[in-house]
Amino acid sequence: MNVNKDELLKVVKLASQIILENGGETYRAEETIKFICKSLGVKEIDSVATPTGIYITLSIDGIENNTVVKRINKRSINLIRLNRVNTISRQITEKSISLQEAIALLEETRADAENYNKNFSLFYGGISAAFFTLLFGGKLLEFFISLTAGVLVALFAKKFENLHSYQFLSSLLAGTIIAFTAIAGTYIAGFGNYNYVIVGGMMPQLPGLAMTNAIRDTIRGDLVSGIARGTEALLVASSLAAGAGVIISFALYLGIIQN
Amino acid sequence: MIKELILNMIYCFMATWFFALLMNSPKKVLFHSSLIAAIGYTSYLICINFGQVRLGFFFGTLIIVFLGELLARLIKMPATIFIFPAVIPMVPGLGLYQTMLAFVQENIFGALKIGVDTIVNIGAMAIAMTLMGLIASKIPIKTKKN
Repeated sequence: MNVNKDELLKVVKLASQIILENGGETYRAEETIKFICKSLGVKEIDSVATPTGIYITLSIDGIENNTVVKRINKRSINLIRLNRVNTISRQITEKSISLQEAIALLEETRADAENYNKNFSLFYGGISAAFFTLLFGGKLLEFFISLTAGVLVALFAKKFENLHSYQFLSSLLAGTIIAFTAIAGTYIAGFGNYNYVIVGGMMPQLPGLAMTNAIRDTIRGDLVSGIARGTEALLVASSLAAGAGVIISFALYLGIIQN
Repeated sequence: MIKELILNMIYCFMATWFFALLMNSPKKVLFHSSLIAAIGYTSYLICINFGQVRLGFFFGTLIIVFLGELLARLIKMPATIFIFPAVIPMVPGLGLYQTMLAFVQENIFGALKIGVDTIVNIGAMAIAMTLMGLIASKIPIKTKKN
């Protein structure tokens, strides 16, 4: 069977890139490449995926080797894109679409920035945080403070989206905004517990999956991505904590809150 | 206690629903992932009521991953799409926050105690995910035959 090596390389590069950029596991990227190539009768295929980059070498006829390297700079979570890549790779293995069509579909998936109503997406994080506040024991007042904090965090996060230390800055700022809104809100209202608001507000920002994935990758034997994800989780969690910690120490110093 | 459990279930369901929206989860599966989150979180709460916190983290995650893998085979989507929003309510955010709070209050021993406890809880979740994933990988996903 005739397979165009440039097209195949582009397909596997795009597919693995989208998986890694949107919160997919490294083994998922490697397996997707393997499935696509096996179904097209490629003789040799090897790939190394880490959260920060991917290296793919494949040999269609077993003689000539082709390699592609892709650096992954920005990582966020977008489940709808993961699902689309999964569908596309399945269509390729079932041979219901050609490689050219697959490239077009993958590029479309990658470019498609927003899947939901943009104005409303600001509120998702806030409402989620507000319900987490209720889950941890908050009442109606804490619910609304948490909602405000969540919306503010989303507003500020948008401003920093294209900076290179995005993850560190946005978490630091999120921690600061949540703690500030929580303490200011309960102080102005005169009652309520700011702890519930801070915990609830932090829940959607926490690198929960990165933490569990780090341990899971390490157990699987993917040591490099385990360490990388662990570091990422630690960075986000500690910058969130640092942001909130600064405000709490300041409030303690001013005597707004008691120990 | 029953009333509290049901209320927590609803809160957990709503929180996961909007969290999944935040993470651009496909609209079709919002209900499924929120439901398995609520089920997992309730089993975690029941374990806590029996005084078994670590076991709660383990069993809650185990149930979520099991249901996620099951749904992945029924709806034919990657299991991560269900599991990722669903485990978020289980992540010990309270523990992480209390660790930070203890550090701020210069209670270093308290911070270390809560911090290590939190990391072990996260470890219990990861072990549950790995175990269930291992079992699931032995059961192949059937693809539709044209």
